[in-house]
Amino acid sequence: MTDATPQTLLGSLPTSFDAGPEWLRALRGRAAEALREQGLPTKKTEAWRFTPVRSVVDAEFSQEDGGVPSLVSLVPDGVTARSLRQVLKAQPELLEGRLDLGGAPTHFAALNTALFTDGLWIDVPAGVAIQEPIELVHAISTSPEPGVVYPRVLVTLGDHAELTLVETYASGDARQLTNSVVEVALDRNAKMSHVRVHENAGLQVGRVDVRQDTDSGYRSTVVTLGGALLRFDVRCLLQGKGAECQLDGAYLVEGEDHVDHHTRVEHQASHCRSEQTYRGIAAGKATAVFDGIVVVHRDAQKTEAHQENRNLLLSEMATVHTKPHLEIDADDVICSHGATVGSLDEDQLFYLRARGIPKDLAHSILTYAFLESVVDRVDHEPTRQRMREALLARIPHGDDIRGIT
Amino acid sequence: MLKIEDLHAEVDGKPILKGINLEIEAGQVHAVMGPNGSGKSTLAYVLAGRDGYEVTKGRVFYKGKDLLEMPPEVRAAEGVFLGFQYPVAIPGVSNIYFLKAALNAIRKHRGEEPLDAIDFMKLSKEKAALVQLSDELTKRSVNDGFSGGEKKRNEIFQMAVLEPSLAVLDETDSGLDIDALRVVAEGVNSLRGPERAMLVITHYQRLLDYIVPDVVHVLIDGQIVRTGGKDLAKQLEQEGYTEVQDALQP
Repeated sequence: MTDATPQTLLGSLPTSFDAGPEWLRALRGRAAEALREQGLPTKKTEAWRFTPVRSVVDAEFSQEDGGVPSLVSLVPDGVTARSLRQVLKAQPELLEGRLDLGGAPTHFAALNTALFTDGLWIDVPAGVAIQEPIELVHAISTSPEPGVVYPRVLVTLGDHAELTLVETYASGDARQLTNSVVEVALDRNAKMSHVRVHENAGLQVGRVDVRQDTDSGYRSTVVTLGGALLRFDVRCLLQGKGAECQLDGAYLVEGEDHVDHHTRVEHQASHCRSEQTYRGIAAGKATAVFDGIVVVHRDAQKTEAHQENRNLLLSEMATVHTKPHLEIDADDVICSHGATVGSLDEDQLFYLRARGIPKDLAHSILTYAFLESVVDRVDHEPTRQRMREALLARIPHGDDIRGIT
Repeated sequence: MLKIEDLHAEVDGKPILKGINLEIEAGQVHAVMGPNGSGKSTLAYVLAGRDGYEVTKGRVFYKGKDLLEMPPEVRAAEGVFLGFQYPVAIPGVSNIYFLKAALNAIRKHRGEEPLDAIDFMKLSKEKAALVQLSDELTKRSVNDGFSGGEKKRNEIFQMAVLEPSLAVLDETDSGLDIDALRVVAEGVNSLRGPERAMLVITHYQRLLDYIVPDVVHVLIDGQIVRTGGKDLAKQLEQEGYTEVQDALQP
């Protein structure tokens, strides 16, 4: 089902919300109100300075129904995966306080909150450690008309629960907008590995919001291969003592792609640890943006936080903006951050060539190796293999360098 | 094998080599000795074809061909090998994959079939044993996390697999303790043969106790100031470069 009349994103906001439980109507109402007041971001919005969203904000889309990702793996015993729509109808109290992104959602996350019609809730109860990964595919409409979907996923892990979630945002064209929100809540000692792949994902605005209790662990590995316009935000709130998160990402852009990765880690409790490694390659006329912030709150003593972003520029027409930053209000912390933008290492190139490897092949080897070190962290062998192949397919002479690592 | 004629080269506009003449026959090992800054590494890089080392005058013939015309990978494919003074680490590229790719690129250049995985593993095991390089090291990323000695052994391992006609070994002894030096030297010696020439570049005479050269050249300020037999190295060790240099002053 498609809403017949295309509208701008803001124009599609209803004036009142009449369906669902009262708390949801209130939540959607607040989100809509915030949007009417603030509007959607523009180039003047600091966090959106480098993201050319105007084309999205001004465009008209028809809202496609659904937004429920396809489960392409079995749901293991002990885990439940339910439609948000059904739970909201049958047992809405289970979701109260779970869909508010930790406060007042803004911008595209607010839009999703106001407008999502369905979604998926994956719940791993306390003590259940799942070995087999759960795989989700967010297929994008093949309609020739501009459409928007609002996928919504909620993942909850009880004490000592463990889960690997693999999400793929599949190929789509630049007329289709996916505005997704994934919320993750990790109870004490819960461990989650979250693999997220964007492959030529059309127009994407994605948000992952993670709330972590004591001693929980969250690992995110994001691989972005192309994208007409992609904006990805991941935020981890380390709320319980000893929680840890590791955020890794690899991106490769060419042509006129624009991909934009933002991370935000908030150390709100003591003895937490966070580590971030993002690596990207920009070729052609493409633009890549990395903006990462680590906030260490006043009581978060004994924090350890590291952040690194490295970029390879393979063409003079390509652009990289990188902005890693730290805001530290505690005094007993170990923090580091760094960013580089450069070309291939001359010493390495010469070493390969001096051994007989032709120049263009040497280029490909070093280009591939640069991202492979992050792809190697993908916590799911079939996806890891698929990403390696996808990377090889995008690199000149990819076929000749298979097996390099 | 190699004929260098009046070679001048500069780096960043600064003249480093100021007229080198040198001829090496197949089967010979020549040593080039010299103090720091004399141009030893520049000579090695010029022969291997590194960007930024600009030849301003002179010619270099390798097996009768103009070496300076060739890009680095063609020099390698034609049989020129540079053993690096500071081998660079390349994280993410496996040592063994890289070497197989290099060997097969060279074989392709010569019109030979690529070596398959099984034959290559056999070859690499045999050659790794020569310099006591462990299986684990051959499989790691190129020089990544290798100690100084392991890097140098890896260089000789690569040379053993690639079987060059002309090996230029740039300060292969630097950073090696005596045991590692012996292993590396034995590896080099086992590769000596009537078809192969070597140019061993070193600051110290010590290496030449193990790799005994046929000819020794003394390089000072971009020029070869003396040439002699293996005893010249010993003499240098006793007298030092300064004496040799002073003795040459008019």
